[in-house]
Amino acid sequence: MRDRILEILQDQRPDIDFENETELVSGGLLESFDIVSIVSELDDEFDIEITPKELKAENFDSLDALTKLVESLSEE
Amino acid sequence: MEKNVLEWLEKAGRLTPDNIAYEDENTAITFRQTLEEARRIGSRLAEKITDPAPIAVMMGRTVHTIVSYLAVVYSGHVYAPIDVTLPEDRVCKILDTLQPSAVLTENENLETASKYAEIAKCPVFVREELNTGLTAWPVLNKIRIRMTENEPLYIIFTSGSSGRPKGVLTSHHSLMCYISAYSHMMGIRREDKIGCQSPLDYIAAVRDIYVPLLTGASDYLLPKEYFMQPDELFNLMNEKEITTIGWSTSGLTVLTKLGAFKDTGLKTLKKICFSGSVMPGKVLRIWQENLPDAVFVNQYGPTEATASCTYYRVDHQVTDDEILPIGVPYDNYNVFLLKDNGEEAAVGEEGEICVSGPILALGYYRDPERTEAAFVRNPLVTEYPDRMYRTGDIGKYREDGILEFHGRRDRQVKHMGHRVELDEIEAAAGQAAGVAECSVLYDHDKEIIWLFYSGEMEKRDLVLFLRTELPGFMIPRKVIKKEDLPKLPNGKTDLSSLKSEAGIQ
Repeated sequence: MRDRILEILQDQRPDIDFENETELVSGGLLESFDIVSIVSELDDEFDIEITPKELKAENFDSLDALTKLVESLSEE
Repeated sequence: MEKNVLEWLEKAGRLTPDNIAYEDENTAITFRQTLEEARRIGSRLAEKITDPAPIAVMMGRTVHTIVSYLAVVYSGHVYAPIDVTLPEDRVCKILDTLQPSAVLTENENLETASKYAEIAKCPVFVREELNTGLTAWPVLNKIRIRMTENEPLYIIFTSGSSGRPKGVLTSHHSLMCYISAYSHMMGIRREDKIGCQSPLDYIAAVRDIYVPLLTGASDYLLPKEYFMQPDELFNLMNEKEITTIGWSTSGLTVLTKLGAFKDTGLKTLKKICFSGSVMPGKVLRIWQENLPDAVFVNQYGPTEATASCTYYRVDHQVTDDEILPIGVPYDNYNVFLLKDNGEEAAVGEEGEICVSGPILALGYYRDPERTEAAFVRNPLVTEYPDRMYRTGDIGKYREDGILEFHGRRDRQVKHMGHRVELDEIEAAAGQAAGVAECSVLYDHDKEIIWLFYSGEMEKRDLVLFLRTELPGFMIPRKVIKKEDLPKLPNGKTDLSSLKSEAGIQ
């Protein structure tokens, strides 16, 4: 799952080092239109629904945080 | 009659000295503080910089950036905001046009700003260091005496199809005409709290910067990263009791795409203006349903006519597929339609939207050729010279005097609130070694830029290359590598075949 998420992220923004960045949102690396695309891709790929409740910097700041979020939503 | 924005600031400093003028995450400053700090920094700039050329301001999203703009005005210079996060190549092109007398920055951005000051061969000043000493009244007074209402106020850079950004130079008077008309139309008062979305270097920010000075309202700089976190943003807006916003259409669109209003609503927002691109009916409907008592205004206009030309107050609940008209001209804006033969289009006929009046920009800075091409003599007035600006947009007047927007004459699109020339993206991609041919298309419905290309280069490398040439919002979201681009019998690229491949209507 982590690898697939990484692929989706890299496809959106090949210029960002997703393996090592830990401030993707709070550091201003991702733009709001990146988030729109990423959310819709993740929703489709993993059959989940990311809602405003989950749209918090801490859930999107790193690949690990994002993986955790997708995992928890897939279990529901 | 007021002729200088500083008169507005000085008046607000007298009438409501202790009210908050501007606020960001860390700092709130009153009108008195704004006035005093702008005068102090302005005095130091006036003493240190004798070259009359514009001052490039390279600063972040804080209240001090606004104060620094006003300080530059006090110093008798024109301010030109530059976003330091743009690709280096683009900043260099802007500096080359600007030939600034100095770069004004702050400690946090000093390193980058110093690098650019060196490239532009001019000194760099740090606002924290200039914010000391006394106001140099004789110096500031001498500067003010020679300023007329036509004095240039700012230069804002916008996309150009050749790849060279154009610096739109605007006067105090033009800006004051627009701000007065906008504040009046929106009914903004001293009690209002404005929520700022626009980057401070962008044209839309003139509302957030100058409406407080005229009306006494305060402006809160909403953090950029909150626009991808709808609940956080709405909670902050409720907490700060934001009553009015003037945002790009895409600001509203992105939030609804991310599910805004599902769990958290807006409690204090009453007046909403949006502009920059066509508002989808289904997005506006969601906002109207969630804010049934709010006023919604669709605004239209280019940077060259000082932010906006026309407005349309939405007077009914919209439907999902509805296309909003762009409305009626603001006070002091003459908006008319010209047909290809140079005659005025009659009611019900299409024509290019043209603008004249005191709100026209002074021109493109240090660019006589493009200025002459865009700001031309109004062919409808033959008895004396009347200047007008051709927007490149197509419009149609309805029987009731309301103007409709009918698209572009050329390949310029409005994407995420920004003006984007598709030709400029093609020009940038064409520069990459390893790109043989390329074609850029825009999907208006989904707000996606597509790039098709042929050549050796890998997709990822091409995107990385484009990121060194273009601002982030201009980078194509979908990049498709092909053996060859499809061709029409005459040898031109078959755009309709590419369009159907991209699923563009």
